[in-house]
Amino acid sequence: MKIKVRAFGPLLDVMESEFFVEASDTKALVDVLIQQFPGMADRKIAVAVNGKITNTLVKLQDQDTVALLPPYSGG
Amino acid sequence: MNWDPRYERHYTLPGFGHVAQEKLATSKVLVVGAGGLGCPVLQYLTASGVGYIGVMDFDTIQLSNLQRQTIYPTASVGQLKTKVAAEQLRLNNPSIEIIEHPARLSKSNAGKILQQYDIIVDCTDNFEARYVLNDYCVVLQKPLVFAAIYQYEGQVAIFNVSDEQGTACNYRDLFPEIPNANEAPNCSENGVLGVLPGIIGLIQATEVIKLITGLGDPLVNKLMTWNVLNYQSMILEITHRADFHIPDIESLDSQQDVDDAHRYRSEDPIDGIHPREIETYLHNPEVCLLDVRELYEEPPFPLVHQGIPLSTLSQRINELSARHIIVVCQSGQRSMHAAQYLKEHFGKNRRISHLVGGIVHYLNYKKAE
Repeated sequence: MKIKVRAFGPLLDVMESEFFVEASDTKALVDVLIQQFPGMADRKIAVAVNGKITNTLVKLQDQDTVALLPPYSGG
Repeated sequence: MNWDPRYERHYTLPGFGHVAQEKLATSKVLVVGAGGLGCPVLQYLTASGVGYIGVMDFDTIQLSNLQRQTIYPTASVGQLKTKVAAEQLRLNNPSIEIIEHPARLSKSNAGKILQQYDIIVDCTDNFEARYVLNDYCVVLQKPLVFAAIYQYEGQVAIFNVSDEQGTACNYRDLFPEIPNANEAPNCSENGVLGVLPGIIGLIQATEVIKLITGLGDPLVNKLMTWNVLNYQSMILEITHRADFHIPDIESLDSQQDVDDAHRYRSEDPIDGIHPREIETYLHNPEVCLLDVRELYEEPPFPLVHQGIPLSTLSQRINELSARHIIVVCQSGQRSMHAAQYLKEHFGKNRRISHLVGGIVHYLNYKKAE
């Protein structure tokens, strides 16, 4: 499954803002990215699939968009 | 019906009118944090005629705040933010009430203060305050208009307001646990484009007005992201966590006692090293000065030191071999976080200190010497 990933905030220090990866579900996607970007492993990140933030494992379809949202603290 | 020429453009605005203006006039809004986000929120809620506005902050005005915190004049540097902001807001609109809360939000004062207001606006600049605010707003069922910024991006959401299905989300639905110190990019050292909190703060103020007046489609259970570089924006639906249990105030209070005891227990504090002392450690082979700023940050730290950015500290912790580690950062906030992290990691095997006031304070001290 070819998935479009959009990254935000401090994640842009280690990855592009948009890129594609192969993954079958959200957990597999995060695991692939952690292998590619080890700095991601320690971060708390909200994961959104096609505009909906999910707290559970979601199966992915070809061309789905996954947004990775780290918390910001600045004010 | 009250008629005030100040609000004439609201009265004549289709969909707004006297009815919405009256709702603003009878609302009580607390703005927690009078910094980059807080300033525009306060200025525009004041101008719009929100009747009773609380401003809460413990801090004083720094020169480096003025690039984005436009309510403060240069001559006010060093003064309490709540005092200066309140004075300015009263001048801007004498017909409303401004209440000063010159205190740091904590579990010991949150309940008492938040209870006095209808809507709470999260303009804080650190995760600790954000989680206290979130949890108390959940417990007290107070609508919370949240925003946070990072460099060129902002996030905005409304929590604790039920949608049509009766679901009300909160910040812990996004991030259940408070982020670790080493992933907390909360120091102003990360930099922020001055206009960003202005834009995001105005979106927050807009959401407050929409909530009060029932106008439009507020960001209830939605997280909006906004990027100043390309104007790209996303609105994401938040899913409520079924396993989230609303903590009650009693358990929050007791947890606070535990947290405080853990953090501040007298036999085990984080040593603060004053700029005047730090050079006395320079020739001690047992001591390592550790700069946890990111590699691109300026100004350079002129004393001999080891550099491990906070973002990579957990992966590189084995590179630290000195018996006594003195952590430094730009202003002393990240170094405190890093020192707590190192203390938890190394336990009593090492002495961990940090440079109070950071490199900025040290350089100012040297300049004045």
